Amino acid sequence: MANNNTVGFSRRALLESSAGLGAGVALAGTLRGRAARAETPTLNMWWWGEQELPGLQGFVDDSVKSYNAAAVKPMLQDTAVVISQFQTAAAAGQAPDIQFLWNGIYHMESVWLGYLRPLEGLVRDATIKASNPTLLSRFDGKTYRLGWYALPMIWIYNKDSYDKAGLNADSPPATWDELLAACEKLKGKGIAPVGGGIQDGYWGEWFFGHALAQNTDTAGEAIDLFTGERDFTDPKYHEHWVRLEDLKKNGFLNDEMSSTELYPGIDLIVAGKVATGLSIGARMPADSKATNDRIGAMVMPVYGKGKLAGKPIMDSQGLGLPTKTANVEAAAAFLEHLQSPEQLQALHEKTGWIPANTNFDTSVITDPAVRAMWQSWTTGENVPYLSNVVPGQFYEQALLPTAQQVVQGKMTGEQAGELAAKVAKEWRDFNPDIVDNYKKWATDLAG
Amino acid sequence: MRQGSRLAPYLYVLPLTALLGFVFGYPLVRIFEFSFKMVRGIDGPWIGLRNFELVLNQPLFWESVRHNLQLLLAVPFMVLGSLLIAVVLHERVTGWKLYRAVLFLPYILAVPIIAVVMKKIFQFNGPVNDLLRGLGLDFLALDWIGSSDVALWTVMILIIWRESALGIILFLARLLSLDESLVESAKLDGANWWQRLVYVVVPQMKVVIEFYLVVSVITILSSVFSYVYMIGGGRGGPGTSTTVVELYIFNALIRTSLPGIASAVSVLLFLVSLLLIVPLFLVRRRANEEAVG
Repeated sequence: MANNNTVGFSRRALLESSAGLGAGVALAGTLRGRAARAETPTLNMWWWGEQELPGLQGFVDDSVKSYNAAAVKPMLQDTAVVISQFQTAAAAGQAPDIQFLWNGIYHMESVWLGYLRPLEGLVRDATIKASNPTLLSRFDGKTYRLGWYALPMIWIYNKDSYDKAGLNADSPPATWDELLAACEKLKGKGIAPVGGGIQDGYWGEWFFGHALAQNTDTAGEAIDLFTGERDFTDPKYHEHWVRLEDLKKNGFLNDEMSSTELYPGIDLIVAGKVATGLSIGARMPADSKATNDRIGAMVMPVYGKGKLAGKPIMDSQGLGLPTKTANVEAAAAFLEHLQSPEQLQALHEKTGWIPANTNFDTSVITDPAVRAMWQSWTTGENVPYLSNVVPGQFYEQALLPTAQQVVQGKMTGEQAGELAAKVAKEWRDFNPDIVDNYKKWATDLAG
Repeated sequence: MRQGSRLAPYLYVLPLTALLGFVFGYPLVRIFEFSFKMVRGIDGPWIGLRNFELVLNQPLFWESVRHNLQLLLAVPFMVLGSLLIAVVLHERVTGWKLYRAVLFLPYILAVPIIAVVMKKIFQFNGPVNDLLRGLGLDFLALDWIGSSDVALWTVMILIIWRESALGIILFLARLLSLDESLVESAKLDGANWWQRLVYVVVPQMKVVIEFYLVVSVITILSSVFSYVYMIGGGRGGPGTSTTVVELYIFNALIRTSLPGIASAVSVLLFLVSLLLIVPLFLVRRRANEEAVG
């Protein structure tokens, strides 16, 4: 026993030493934490985007490192949980200081739940406006998102395919009749005229976003389709599915469309196997480069008489400020920092893509196809992306399934309209507490 | 016996019971609670049976149930197929160890990996259809994953192929531990291969067959999410043709912000699983008691 006291620790000594050490570490940590808090706040930033814009991770990392006013801890979110993870954290009072936000309903539900702050008063009005958060970020006169990077929604066509079919590759179809005439020629040359891939459903969302605009005058009118003020069984509101049905019946869609996913489907256009289809602006630099500038961007050919028909669709990904966070001013300052000319330039350098800010110097865009697209989409009037007003339940149970069924030839456009009306009614039954907010939102966006 | 010694066994199991109660019991209680609430975020007001009423009146829910029931058709193929292959392997055909490894390989690969490969293979212009067209069997070159009429059957093929691997290994393990003298006796009595299989081998494998049957039914009812998620483009498509109850729950919870609805369907799935599984275990216990008695 004596040996224990001289050579090793007694149990009491061990416990005392451990307690003393623990207390010391805790005290040091507290003091260091207090000192750190006194110097720079720590901001948690939950973001998304690397998945669709490779290089964004590098930009975020560099931005955070170079920012001295706060310690920003970025966390890249998984696509499947961007909304649910944020809403759960916000409900538990554990929201991050800065949150990535998709446009429209994808963040508006969080607004209605009280999880997001309006940016007015925190971020300069000029910055908000320049970032092009779009109309769909506004509710009750307030803006809840700052644009981060631009997302033009486009139709693309392969100029080589058009050349082979004897079409004017510099003048893509502007009307639906012109598209059908082009389809006949393309089909005659053995080229699938229109399509891509719809196996994962997203093509149906993109098509809806372009085509519903054909017969609508405002985004508010589109929202009315869900509140019950308007009805998908009205022919003008399901005409887009009827047009899709026509493409199918005429054999103008590529035969592997139903078993091909969205992005491999766009690859088919780049490869010249499909002539015309849907894409997003962020893909243009790579696709243009892969084809030596033989991919052109176009607006969906016009058939409708709505005021939104034939106009370029411009969306943006964005960032916002959750409620109940301690460092809101510091978070707002970081958002302002991301909109500084240096950061806009850095985002472009890291990703090759265009930040959502009208002050960005677009002279750095060297690719002629990308430059042409950007000028077309930004110099004139552009319109919001209407798929962003679709409730999640409608998206899952009507928007994606109907397009897939029409493309397969299992459903007519009219039947698609009936299903859409039924699911919209179900959505109202399942979400009675949200319908009033939707009605208010429709009023806001009716102008 | 002293009071303390009577309590002792319960005290020994208390920590583990408490842990299990926390890990499994608490979430279950919360799910039951949520099923009676309109949950937004992490809580919401009580709405009685409204969630159940909405779900049970929705055609998509019943379509999902129907798809699960349709997938149950895979179970006999899984059981009989596994049994047959295990018996053939047990005959120690040349290279049987290699075959065993190859057959078990799908089971140790993650479903998403297998499904991604399968999707490539089963594309409309993919290798399977190219082969069929090359053989002049164009009528069999179906749109395996792009047609609403075919996609669920493609999922079923994938489930049978992968899940049978477990059955093969279980059955083979049991076969290797059988009393060979009974088989030899039957052989000496003139029983042919089929008779020995049906009257001697299979009865001795009853327990493991029952076990695999129960596991397979549970798998089909509540563990096919990854299959339909991958093959159905993450959406239970094309259309809603591969939507199953698990995917319905996932969509309600994650994609449509309806935790109350997701909880109500989870409760229904839990109760149906109990209804199916408890009688199976009761029958099994009675059979054991009779065997012992």
